[in-house]
Amino acid sequence: MHTLERIAIAGVPNSGKTTLFNRLTGARQKVGNWPGVTVEKKEGFFALRDSQVELVDLPGTYDLSPDTEDQKVAERVISSGEYDLILNVVDATNLSRNLYLTMDLKERTNQIIVLLNMLDVAEAEGIDIKAEQLSEDLGLPVVPIVAVDKKSVKKAITRIELLALDLPPHDSHATKAEVLDTVQKYAYIDQLYKRTVSERKNRNLNWTNRVDNIVMNKFLAIPFFLVSMFVTFWFAIGLGSVFIDFFDIIGGLLFVDIPGAMLNAIGAPEWLKVMIAGGIGAGAQTVATFVPVVFFMFLALATLEDLGYMARVGVVADRFMRKIGLPGSAFIPMIVGFGCTVPAVMAARTLKTRRDRFMTIFMAPFMSCGARLPVYALFCAALFGAYSGLAVFLIYLTGLFMAIFTGYILKNTLFKGTPSHFVMDLPLYHRPQIGAVFKSAWFRMKNFVRKAGVIVVAAVFVLSVLNSVGVENGKVSFGNEDSQSSILAYAGKKIAPVFKPMGISEENWPASVALFTGLFAKEAIVGTVNSLYATMDMTKQETPVTAGEGAGGVDVEGAITEAFASVGEGLAGIVGSFDVLGLGLIAEDQAIISEEIGAETAVLQHIAAHFTIFSAFAYLLFVLMYFPCLAVIGAARQEMGGYYAGVMAVYSTLLAWSVATLFYQIVEGHSLFYTLLSFTVLGMIYGGLHYISKKERKEIAPVFAPPIRTSCCE
Amino acid sequence: MSTSITLPNMLISKLYNVAGFTNEASDYSRKLHKMGFTPGTEVTLAPVKMSDPLIVQIRGGRVALRKKEAQQVLVKEI
Repeated sequence: MHTLERIAIAGVPNSGKTTLFNRLTGARQKVGNWPGVTVEKKEGFFALRDSQVELVDLPGTYDLSPDTEDQKVAERVISSGEYDLILNVVDATNLSRNLYLTMDLKERTNQIIVLLNMLDVAEAEGIDIKAEQLSEDLGLPVVPIVAVDKKSVKKAITRIELLALDLPPHDSHATKAEVLDTVQKYAYIDQLYKRTVSERKNRNLNWTNRVDNIVMNKFLAIPFFLVSMFVTFWFAIGLGSVFIDFFDIIGGLLFVDIPGAMLNAIGAPEWLKVMIAGGIGAGAQTVATFVPVVFFMFLALATLEDLGYMARVGVVADRFMRKIGLPGSAFIPMIVGFGCTVPAVMAARTLKTRRDRFMTIFMAPFMSCGARLPVYALFCAALFGAYSGLAVFLIYLTGLFMAIFTGYILKNTLFKGTPSHFVMDLPLYHRPQIGAVFKSAWFRMKNFVRKAGVIVVAAVFVLSVLNSVGVENGKVSFGNEDSQSSILAYAGKKIAPVFKPMGISEENWPASVALFTGLFAKEAIVGTVNSLYATMDMTKQETPVTAGEGAGGVDVEGAITEAFASVGEGLAGIVGSFDVLGLGLIAEDQAIISEEIGAETAVLQHIAAHFTIFSAFAYLLFVLMYFPCLAVIGAARQEMGGYYAGVMAVYSTLLAWSVATLFYQIVEGHSLFYTLLSFTVLGMIYGGLHYISKKERKEIAPVFAPPIRTSCCE
Repeated sequence: MSTSITLPNMLISKLYNVAGFTNEASDYSRKLHKMGFTPGTEVTLAPVKMSDPLIVQIRGGRVALRKKEAQQVLVKEI
């Protein structure tokens, strides 16, 4: 008797295995990592006749050789026999490639049931498959299935239950003697194919062909790509930002105001309020504001991927990505970076090798994200006037250039090694499964909130405590947010000399304090600059702002009304505008800008007084490049580990400093010393990366190249 | 036996068979082998008007390959 308690789904990418997984488990799934690796593990449960089955979706792989992390994980799981049954989803429209994996599976276990998916699509294309013959030739049960169809899946499950009863027990050694090499396997598949498949003379690939002729045409590829990216951004950023205020307000209410009021009500001391409401609460609120953009970005990307277009983007981009030793597919995460760097870092997961993944993550933060735009807008409004558009364009361009520069540097230092080949499977286009796309976006976002969230909350906590605590005449006080007396302001003043070479005078200390708050999220720079310049005008304020509202004074109803109103306003705004990058913001006049980004006109005068055009541009260059926000570092740590995330933070900050300084000194400062100093720092960056890579190579000593042979298994 | 040419020299709309690789022991050849580029397999160039990467039709699927790397693949006209 064969009991079914744990089942694994295996299949090549795009075979429909994830569709089947979603269909079976519904909402009862969780996304985590396989132990010890960053390969995503999707688990769920579903009910059989009289038992609960644990289901796992193995990474999509074309074979089981240990070339990639994904394949290693799949191989290990299958060979171990931990699962009572392997469901091998096979795409009927691409049978021979799919059967190669089946052959690899067969060598490792005999508890396989083949699910022949997309038979309907295959038939429409003129491919006729005899399922019984296939089953006989493979020596495995074959069940036809249409994974997108609920009824078909239900029927298939009933059959699977019956068939599983007759399966022999797991034994990975039984067939070891019959292991075949690649060529033999395909020869076997070719014979089998001839017996089981009859193909119409002209297979009807025309639909995909016709679309490809347009989207990958020599002349149309780039314009089409730009248009599709534009629509993606418009959707993700536009729709996402509609909900930012909503999440900000609701998050503020739930995590800051209500806990603050509750602590007030029980008469908690000020320091506790600062820590709970102002620290942890504000951290949770920061995470909440990321949720909508991250979600819509994942949604847009999952749609493009499901459609089959993402693979084409990779092909089009390969023409220039190869110049920095990356495959075209590495361009996809970088595009995402124009929206938000956090999902960009996470999107790098799809790349095959560690080197490609890490390089892409290092490059992604230089693609100027949406959060940096308000900062540019503020400074442009104050100083650049009619040239604002040009200035912002130059900053974006510099970002792109620095990303490529980073690619070159890393290629020669930290991530040496042979660039990977570019070989990309192009799936057939098909209609995206709305449910599956939503689910994929939802789970990815949940994963992000859980993992990156912890880091963000912790960091926001520390910074806001520093922002609140003030030491004056030996007395510690709280409630000094954004004033001159907080520790943060003190530190800002102390550190101001560091920024002197890029044109920020020491009297202009608010600008350097703002760089601290910019660590949370770059748009926070606007708020800090705003309130600090305002306090410079006033004689010292006597009434400090406290973390919570006054006792019991939380306007819950008002906040909720405001939250929903913000969604309405945002939607009204998005309909008329196709202004994806928000560049329209730059072109508007001063009064409107300061209203939109919440700055006061007096602040613009302060900026104009404290900066020259060149020092402002240098400052913006620094803002563009320095320490990507904490959420990004959180995500990078999750993907690369703390060490490389740290290297990335230091690298980008030093690079930002030297580029900003170099710019300022060449155009205005004319100090030979600082010019040489910035060159020295650039040299040190290069040397440092070189040193780290050397040390790394010694520590992780011999990384064996895959053995050279044409056979695939022992 | 007709002489073999490299894959990027294939003409659109003509049928070819995979003949082998310039270096059978390379990683590239290993990778493509597993994708079904085994000797005798039918291969054609997709009628997509793009010079590089090339789109190749093989075993009912489509694969994009860099022109330069694909020089390692040898094919024979049928």
